[in-house]
Parts: sequence; C-alpha cells; structure tokens
Amino acid sequence: MAIRKLHQVFLLTLVVAFGTLAAQAQSFQIQCPTSTVTHPVAANNNSEPAYAGPTYTGTTGYGTQPAHVNGAIKCQQISGGDGFATMGDGTQTYLFAFGPLSGLADIANGLPGTGFPKDFNTLPPTTLMPGDPATANGLTANSWPSYPLPTGAFGWNGAVGLAPDTDCLANPTCSATIPANGLDGHVDPRPIMDVGVMNGNMPAPLMAIDEDDEFFLTLTNVGQVMRPDLFEQHTVHFHGYPNASAFYDGVPDASVAINIGGSFTYYYLAPDAGTYFWHCHITPPEHLQMGMVGQIYVRPRQNRWVGSLFAGLQAQQGDLRTRCDSSDILCSNPLPAVQAVGPDAGNDGTKKYAYNDGDGSTRYDVEYPLQIHGFDPNFHFVGMTFNPEGFTDMKDKYFLLNGRSYPDTVTPGPLMTQTTDGLVHFSQPLSSIINIPAGGKALLRIADLDVTEYQTLASLEIPMHVVGYNAKLLRDQAGNNLDYYTNSITLAGGESLDVILDVSDTAKYPSGSIFYLYTPNLDHLSNDAENFGGLMTEVNIN
Amino acid sequence: MNPITKKTAIPMTRLLPAVLVALALLLTTAANAAAPGVTGSAFQMTAKPAFVSQPDGNAVYSWGYSCDTGGSPTPFGSAGTACGGTMQVPGPTLIVNAPASGNATFTVTLTNGLPTAAGNTSILFPGFQVATSGGVAGLLTQEAQPGGAVIYTITVPSTAAGTHSYYSGTQSDLQVEMGLYGALIVLPSSTPAACTSGIHGTNLAAQGIRNETNFRLAPAAYNHPGACYDREYMFQFSEIDPRIHRQAEEQILAAGNCAAGGAGCGINVATEPYVPAYFMINGRSMPDDMDANYAPEYPHQPYNGNPHMHPGELVLLRIIGQGRWQHPFHEHGNHVRVLARDGNLIASATDPTHSLAGPLLFTTTTTPGMTIDGIFYWTGKGLNWDAFGHNTDPKKSGHADCVPDGNGYYTGDPGAINYFEWCQDHNKPVQATPSGNVASGGPATLPDPNIFANGAWFGGSPYLGPDATVRSVGSTGTTPPSGTIANSPTDEAGYAFMWHSHNEREITTNNIFPGGMLMMMLVDSREFKIDESN
Repeated sequence: MAIRKLHQVFLLTLVVAFGTLAAQAQSFQIQCPTSTVTHPVAANNNSEPAYAGPTYTGTTGYGTQPAHVNGAIKCQQISGGDGFATMGDGTQTYLFAFGPLSGLADIANGLPGTGFPKDFNTLPPTTLMPGDPATANGLTANSWPSYPLPTGAFGWNGAVGLAPDTDCLANPTCSATIPANGLDGHVDPRPIMDVGVMNGNMPAPLMAIDEDDEFFLTLTNVGQVMRPDLFEQHTVHFHGYPNASAFYDGVPDASVAINIGGSFTYYYLAPDAGTYFWHCHITPPEHLQMGMVGQIYVRPRQNRWVGSLFAGLQAQQGDLRTRCDSSDILCSNPLPAVQAVGPDAGNDGTKKYAYNDGDGSTRYDVEYPLQIHGFDPNFHFVGMTFNPEGFTDMKDKYFLLNGRSYPDTVTPGPLMTQTTDGLVHFSQPLSSIINIPAGGKALLRIADLDVTEYQTLASLEIPMHVVGYNAKLLRDQAGNNLDYYTNSITLAGGESLDVILDVSDTAKYPSGSIFYLYTPNLDHLSNDAENFGGLMTEVNIN
Repeated sequence: MNPITKKTAIPMTRLLPAVLVALALLLTTAANAAAPGVTGSAFQMTAKPAFVSQPDGNAVYSWGYSCDTGGSPTPFGSAGTACGGTMQVPGPTLIVNAPASGNATFTVTLTNGLPTAAGNTSILFPGFQVATSGGVAGLLTQEAQPGGAVIYTITVPSTAAGTHSYYSGTQSDLQVEMGLYGALIVLPSSTPAACTSGIHGTNLAAQGIRNETNFRLAPAAYNHPGACYDREYMFQFSEIDPRIHRQAEEQILAAGNCAAGGAGCGINVATEPYVPAYFMINGRSMPDDMDANYAPEYPHQPYNGNPHMHPGELVLLRIIGQGRWQHPFHEHGNHVRVLARDGNLIASATDPTHSLAGPLLFTTTTTPGMTIDGIFYWTGKGLNWDAFGHNTDPKKSGHADCVPDGNGYYTGDPGAINYFEWCQDHNKPVQATPSGNVASGGPATLPDPNIFANGAWFGGSPYLGPDATVRSVGSTGTTPPSGTIANSPTDEAGYAFMWHSHNEREITTNNIFPGGMLMMMLVDSREFKIDESN
C-alpha cells in the first residue's frame, strides 16, 4: 500500500514536472518572426527582393553563406470554427468554416490575407468588435450597406489578438529575449473570440506567397458555437505541396490535430510555383462538404527577375533546389526547347507569370482564384443539428464558384450574412467576376474541392488556354510546351488547373463586352429548387 | 478486421526461433510481391460466387475469378502453387513477359462456375488481340455457358508493357459490379541500362544492406530509361452498391438449381439507380486494405493497399479504375509522373527515347477500365529544415555526414541511415527552442503537445525515423505513453501520408467514416526494414 502511494506521488511529480516543461506559452498564440535562419536581416523581410541569382550554388547548403537571400517572410492567421453563408436563393446555410484572423481588410477586399511581418505584427487601431470588420467599420467610411451606424474606413491587416507580452516585459531576464515592443507571439484571447467566433468564410481565407518565402500560418480553433455537442478539431492540409513533412501535412491521423482553444503554426518554405489549395483534413467528407476549403497559390521567381526569361531560368539551374532537368522525374519546368523572341522574351520586373516558364508562355495581366465547390443543403441542415449525417446519399444542390452561385457570383465585393449572434459577418468575400483589361490576359487559378462529383466549367467564345495542371507547368522533359486550348475543363474534387483567357484580339473581344463561364453539367445551373443559377459567372472586358 | 496493421522490424537475434519458423514457412509457401500475382503462359480461371467482407461487418454476395490449380501459373518470382481455386476480388493479377521480338501468346481458360441463373460469362482484354476457342458467341466475345468453358489466346507483342485491366464482357453492368475484373501486367522485353546502375544501383544496394528483399516485378515498367523503379504497388478502385448485390443474391436463391435456358432460369437485376456504399481499393475498404496480402480474414480479397517506401526510392504506382465511377486518387506527399495510359507510354514528341511527356499529378483520376502507370518518390527536398534532426555538435548522437551528389542528395553511403538525405538542409534546425539532442535556433516554435490530439500514425515528433524522434522527444514521442499505435516512435516513426479518394464521401464505408478508398502510405527511414513478404 505504502509503496503504491509512493509511486503515485512520484508519478504526480513527474506529471507536474512535464507539464511545467511543456507549457511554454498559452494555448492561443501566433508566430511571425521578423527574421530567421533563412532570412536573417529583418529589414529585408518586409518586401520581395528582386531575384538576382541562386540562393545556394553548386552543392553548398546550410552552414555556408548563401549567394543570395531570396524571398521574404509571410504570415497569416485563420480561425477554425463555424459561420453562415448566403446561397443564391437567399438561404442561409450553416458552415463548418475557417475565417480570417489577420489581413481582415485585404480579405474583405477579395485579396489574399497573407502579410509581411510588418503588416502582421501591427496592433489594431481600435478595439475590435464582434463581427469585425463588418460591425465597427465598413470597407470605406459610411459605406457599409444597410448598417445604421456611421462607420470608419477599415484598413487594418494585423493579427487579431496580437498584444504585447507584458508579463515578459516586466521581467528583465525574459524581456531581453523578445522584441522591445513586446510582440513575441503572445495574444489576448478576448479579441480572438470576439472576432473569430462565427466569422467563418466560404471560401476559406485566400493565401498567396512567393517562391523562396517562409510562410507561417497559424490556425486558431475558436470552437463551433452552433454545435456545443461537438469538440471538433481542425487542421490545415496544404494540398499538392511536394515533399511535405507529415508533421505539417495537416492529416490528423499522421500528425497532431488542433483542439478548441489551441493554436498551431504551420511552417513551410514556399514550394514550386503553382495553384494549390488547402482544406481541413478532419473527417474530410464532413468538414469539406461543410465549407472548410480555401485557395493558396505560389508565385514564381520569374516575377522577380529582370532580363531575359531564358537567362532567368538558366540562373535557377544554379541551385539544386530550383534546378529542373531529367535527373528529377517530378519537375515540370526544364529549360524551354524553343527560346522565345520579341517582347514576351523578357521581364522588365513588372510582368507576372503563372510558372517559371523561361519563355513567357504563362504571362498574365490579372489573376483570379476560382474555386469550384458544391453544397448539399440537407447535409448542411443536418450538420446544424445534433444528428449524424449520412454520406452515401450526399447530393449537392448548390454549385459554387468562390462560395457563391449565380447570380451572387456577379455581385461585386463581399457578401454578408446575418448569423445567430444577430450580427452581420463577411461570409463570402470573393466575388467571381472576371475583369480583364481590354487586350489583356487573365489567369484563372481554378481549384475544385467538391466532395461528391466531377464538375465541368466551360467558356463561351473566349478559348481556355490551359497552361498548368495540378500546380505544374504543362511541359515535357524535352522542354516542349504541352499547353492546349479548349472551351471546357473538367475537374474532380482535389484537382487544380491554370487557364489563361487571352483577349488580346480587341476586335473579337472589345471593351465593354461580357462573356460567360458556365457549367455544361446543366443540372448544376440551379440553386436548389431554383432552376436558374449555380455554376456560372461573367467575364467583363474593361 | 484489424483496425491497424503495420510492418514491423524486430531485432533478429531476439527472435531467432521465430525467425527460423518463419524461414521454414517461407520454404514451403510463396513469397508475395508488393504487386502480387501469378505468372505463366496458361491460366485457368473460374467465375464463381462467394461473399466478400466489409469492415462494417457486412458480407456482400459477389462474383469473382479464381485461379485454378489445373493451370501452369506460379506465384511471381518463386516456386510453388499460388492457385488454390479460391474465388477472389479483384481476380488474379496475371503477370506475363513481353517477348524479345515478334509476338508471344498466353491463354486464359475461363470456366463458368456462376449459378446457372446468372447466365453466360466472358472476359475482355482491352488493348490486346484475342483469339478464342470453345464457348458460344456473345455480343463482344465468345462466352462460357453455365458449367462450360472458353479459351482466350492473347497475343503479346514485343512492344507491349505496363498495366492493363481485364473484366467481364457479358452483361457488364451487372457482372463487373459483382466483382468480375482483374489486372494484367506485361513486363517489358528489356531493361534499360539506367535501371540497374547509378541511383537505382545504390538504392538496390541500400535495400540489401538492410536485409530487405526486393519484390518489384522488374527493374522497369517500360523499355524506357524514364520508367525505372525501385518498388511498386497496385491500386484497383471499385465500388459496391449493396442493393444490386442483395437483389442478385435473392434472385439467384429464388431460381435455385434451375436448368439453363429453362423458363424463369435467369435474373433481372436493376443496375440503376446506382448508389454505392462501399468504396474499395484492391477489393478491400479501409482499414482492411492495410492488412497483409492474403490475410486469412479476407479469403476472397487477397490483395492489400499498404504502401511503404524509403526516401529517394522511385515507386511505381499501377492504378486501375475497375468500377463504374471515376475516383480522384490523391497522393499526399508529392506528385506522380504519369508514365503511361492503358499501357501506352507517353513519351516526348521530339525526344521519345529519353524524355517523358506524361503530366505530373497530385490527383490521379481513375477512370472505368483505364490504367495509369506513374512514378512517385519522396525525399524531403525543399523542406528548409533537416528532417533527420541532425545536430552540428559532434557530442550529440545525431551528428552525421551528408556529402551531396550531383543532385544534392547523400547517396555515397547506401548503409547510412540518412542515405538519400537532401544535403542543402543538413543540420538546418526547424525548432526555435531546444528539446533533446536535436538542433534548435530554427524558425518555428513547436507546440505544446499536451493540448493537441495525436493521430494513430503520428510518429511522435516532427522528425523522420526512430533515431531522430528519440533524440528529440524521447522513446514515447510527444504522446505518452503510447499514442502512436501504428507508427511507434522507437520502431518505425515514419512519415505517414494519406492516399485516398478526394471525392471525400468515398472515404466512408456504408455511411461510416473513416473507411472506403483510403490508406496510409509510410515513408520510412532506413532504420526500419520494409518487409513486403506479406
């Protein structure tokens, strides 16, 4: 008896000791270092430097001085929880959803919420209110539709919850280890809960990074107030990331899952340029159907290169990490077989490309994320109740482009939805209108996250120039481009594709004209019982 | 139904008696490849009924092919008898060699052992010239009447290679749904020199040093230097609508021992509307697919889906759509280079002998009847941190060499546990604060493990392999005492990646999640012996 008691005391001591060791910080926290091993100079990490050459040359690597420091640091915070969205027929639909907890102004403007450290690590100008940025402020002063209060312009993109670590600042030993302003990743949970609860977005917050960036994505699980019976964990799976580690792959079975009240920061060096997407990987048939799906794209080094594109791609061959030849069966952008000539052969530092093509074949003027998805209203209704949902009979009846179905797809600006807290929240920030400058080229970054069936998207009149598929340039190992023209593309859930709409022929595509993207899956041109709507949007030539 | 299956490494000395018993067993039974099948020139198969097992406990009435003892087939690569006459879904994987020149042939004798009321049956071999003898004329090919047989003679030209499907050509909407389908693998007539030298030579040496048996069927999938591989796995995708199977079973029972052609001796099963509830890879739903090949629990579903690989190994995926629907098969961890469709190599138009032109996909859509051969690998290149948790301090046990080859990998020492490490990130830390004997000072503050839920396949640390995991967080990982039940910190500690259908409702079994078309692929460090003998 006595021995057993002794054991118990010993065990208890151990547990306490481990607990003390492990508890390095509170459960909610954020990470956005201003400098790292890879990006050592903080002052250089708040903008993208021009690409002047390989980071490492030959077989050198960590431990030796890099030839060039490329890329910067990017950070973002998202909530995992719930919310409501408005369907094309006016129905409020319940979501399991991610919402923005940084870059709020950019997200509300339909932009990626990803920021440099200087943006992310900025304290809010005023106290944040539940429902922000919808309730306290409009996008522009006094502009918030039908909201009675005078509003100020909302332009803050910092991290919600960010607060000086006053406990650490008060302790000289501790304060010496953190920045003088006390911003060490410590957060005040109150604004996180005030803003994060019921702020779910459909699609989930947009992310965009550049090759060579380090990306710190913090997921903060605020819980689902509509489902107090659930204790849902959430994760982020970066779909399509090559050579991912299992730890940061976001599969709960293969790593850790984030409980309610916890934050986890995913860390990645940006992978090869391409159109990727991300989603929660907890019970995927449920969490994806319920709306936990977003887009992320990686912009190529070539955007930051000044000079001949071929020479720029040759420079990338100098770093084994960015080299592409037949020794690597899984790389897609070897030097082009045919060198480009003329105005498309070089970048003056302002041109934009989907991939490191070396020949300008993926150049575009404007880019649009376009997420294809489908909602089954019965599943979402049951998902709001305490009953288990069935999977076999899942049948989508709302067909969504960026979380909206026609005619909402052609409504500019964010959609709002009043939720059960009585407040209006930004619910669907991304319009699906494609605006192309006359004579220009638009890159459509299309991702399909439907969980039940394949969907087709067609273009009337403007040919779809397919240049990339599954986040890879379409090119063979001998350098021949394998791009093709079509008027429709078909994707499964879990696929992405890059389409360029080229309207450089202003005689055929004059300014002021309107074209359409729509689905030839004709039963998908509906909003539940309404027989006209669904997967359709407009392409405007400006 | 075992919820969890793993391949284990146990010190040989400790278990010598057991090893001897296992060796004795090996002498009498066949070793099974990672894409197991039978080889020969004359196969005898019988279409017959049996019940297949589903993880929800259901036994589903099905039809499948047996590999019969009367034929000459042998299990690939070893002596003995593989064909026991047991009905199986998918049908036996037939492995044949393309001739060095001209044409070769092999025969399949199909006996119709289905209940008389089920009527005739047949097999199609799409992509091949087929001659027939016996049987009766059917719409698409000669058919075997109930109790009767038909012989198919398939011509294999010297240019043939790759993965192919075969399936019933009689009342296919019902018979394929019931399970009458299988795979045919043609091994290329020659091995490109690149497949036995260089990286493939050292990869093979590394397997030998770790006492791993190489179970690939051939060094290359095609007569092409881009088609070399070090390891291979087969994935056949299909669905079951239980209503169809139940209706077939009821009508067969009602017909009893009727006489062929007699009044009422037939079945009329509605194959639409189609509402599948079981979604299978190689005839099994998750988690059954991760049990061993030929596991006794599933006498009629011998093939598993349990891929393992080491960093840097080129892994051939043989993917077949055997059902009625398309399934987007998403491979976590990296892209797949598509080599071929339906056994047709996709080579560059301008440099066909050296360069490939198939797309790179992270989601390989399976299409009914279609096959894809593709190459996958994982190396951790570009992670920007040392996945092995090395430390520059020579006093720490993680100190190791990483001498980059021309591609930046450590391939100079096939015996090293960090063989094929990506050297640019060697010693580069990920964690900001110290724990154990791994390097710190990195960019990321690792989370407090006590506030997270740990997965069954979590290796216990961010790092790859038992050495790195134990050095970083101890023998239990971050999940005391044994949270990582399928991938323990001291034994395997691999990186687990989910390979699954991304039409996510298909990763369910009859409305239960998880299930269906889902498996965990493990990238294992060299310390862990990958044993594909089961």
